[in-house]
Amino acid sequence: MKRLQLQRWSSTVLSPRARTSNRLHQHLCSSSLRHQSTVAAVQESTPELKYRLNNAHKRSANLQYPSPPVNAALDSAKLASLHARLYLPSRLPLQTLARTLVDASADSNVDFNNESLATLGHDLLTYYTSEHLLCTYPRLPLSVVFAAMYAYVGPKTLAAMSKEWGVDLATLPGGEVDPGYLQFKRVPPGTVLDAETEQNGKRKNWRKTVTSKVVYDDEFGDPIKGSSNSSVGVPAELARATSVRALMGAIYLHAGRPAAKLFFEQHFLSRSLNISQLFNFSQPARDLTRLCARENFEKPVAKIISETGRLSRHPVFVVGIFSGQDKLGEGAGASLLEARERAALAALKGWYLYSPLNVRVPSSMEEEGASPWNPAHVDLGEVIS
Amino acid sequence: MATSLIVPKRPFLTLPFLLPSWSDSLSLGTRRYQSSYRRTKQRLRVKPDASFGSSQQVGDHIIHNPPSSAPSVYHTPNKFLPSNDARKAMRTQASAGYNATELPNVHKVEAERKYHLNPSDIEEIRKLRLADPMMWSRHKLAKRFECSPLFIAMVCEASAEKKQIQKQVLEAVQSRWGPKRRMAREDRQLRRAAWGRDE
Repeated sequence: MKRLQLQRWSSTVLSPRARTSNRLHQHLCSSSLRHQSTVAAVQESTPELKYRLNNAHKRSANLQYPSPPVNAALDSAKLASLHARLYLPSRLPLQTLARTLVDASADSNVDFNNESLATLGHDLLTYYTSEHLLCTYPRLPLSVVFAAMYAYVGPKTLAAMSKEWGVDLATLPGGEVDPGYLQFKRVPPGTVLDAETEQNGKRKNWRKTVTSKVVYDDEFGDPIKGSSNSSVGVPAELARATSVRALMGAIYLHAGRPAAKLFFEQHFLSRSLNISQLFNFSQPARDLTRLCARENFEKPVAKIISETGRLSRHPVFVVGIFSGQDKLGEGAGASLLEARERAALAALKGWYLYSPLNVRVPSSMEEEGASPWNPAHVDLGEVIS
Repeated sequence: MATSLIVPKRPFLTLPFLLPSWSDSLSLGTRRYQSSYRRTKQRLRVKPDASFGSSQQVGDHIIHNPPSSAPSVYHTPNKFLPSNDARKAMRTQASAGYNATELPNVHKVEAERKYHLNPSDIEEIRKLRLADPMMWSRHKLAKRFECSPLFIAMVCEASAEKKQIQKQVLEAVQSRWGPKRRMAREDRQLRRAAWGRDE
């Protein structure tokens, strides 16, 4: 099979504007330091033979670096195939894609690890997800919003996506490793990961309300952890999640906002999530009564729509909850109590899962030629009992 | 002797796939007589349903015959739609096949609330319950003051000693349970918790 001229191909892709060094790496580097771009080096090594000779000694020469040098990205088949597989915008160079796969625990130099890209990507992901959730389901309780956020862009989801994309883990990070592997320092076996929460458990016990989570906690409703000591190592899940976030940030920087939004819609929003399964009610009938009182509806009354086998071992009751003449919800159960609870639950979910027609999100105003903005639906919010 | 030589016909006729392919056209099973044709037509004659639509209807129309299933929670009830939603005006009252006022209630109809207790009565309820908790239980107080036990629970609380006694009684009862009853009780609680998750 004929060898692909990856180096030449990527150098055409790398326009001067898209180079990382122009935007992120402004201070001058002497020739002995690592460079973030290899465009100059590519132009020097024109003869094929010279290039191959250099290539043979490269791996041993790279041992001095904590992560693969930038020019190695052009030789990696893994990186090129990942770029093609994800259908990434052509303005995103392979060098930056390689940088998104270097965790801070592998390379502590902020110019070469993905920490800054991940910060940007995380903000973008949570912004796009939260605006989608709040505009599509404006009445969702906040605890459900937290759970949905975690399901869309939580670390577990991002790690699963990275696995689905075919990103492999490097056993040990180093300069000689193929840059197509995710480089991070592994946690030594036997390390207790949640040691911190045990210490602070007593102090944080009083903070349990959803309101306090809004104020003090992160976008998933979890307590914010202090900066983890990355010299010890990070779990594979966290490293994978960071690399996915960094990729989002890199797309935003190189290809712009529309491409980042498209990437988000294609890879994150397209995952199916049944929001109706995220609810957990303890007193649905009581909550429904309060809701109807708040909204000035008639008091909800449970009525039997149909039943079978009342005196048998397996009866089935179908109970509807009516407010006046209108049916609010319907549920089936093996006892009247169960059917009534399920009906009240269906009615509450019907309230909470209301979705307006023609949903638009605020970031859609960034598109060119967007129609004037209509305010999103806002109402009194969840039932507090 | 003659009867033993007769080959049983049934397996070959009812299982034609056992026969070689050339005998398909010859086998009796594939032939169709008038009697079997009539039977086939009879099977197809289904009682006409309202949802089938009458054949006299002119023009294109939609036949909507959904299977019996629980309604989707994503289908917001008409009452819960905000007033500016276009669907509120578009939806007509679908004929559910029943009148809500005629359906039987799940619970007995609550007695009309009297709101007859004044603060002095509530003070007395609290005093009685604290003075003799064994005598004045929630239900007895409710009967005496003609209100619901829930109201008694709302206005006062049992004393700490009474709660302790009740806890000991419960422990004594539970200590006599065997593994079967204990597991059945736990399963019931788990099922109850699953209602809230709609499982």
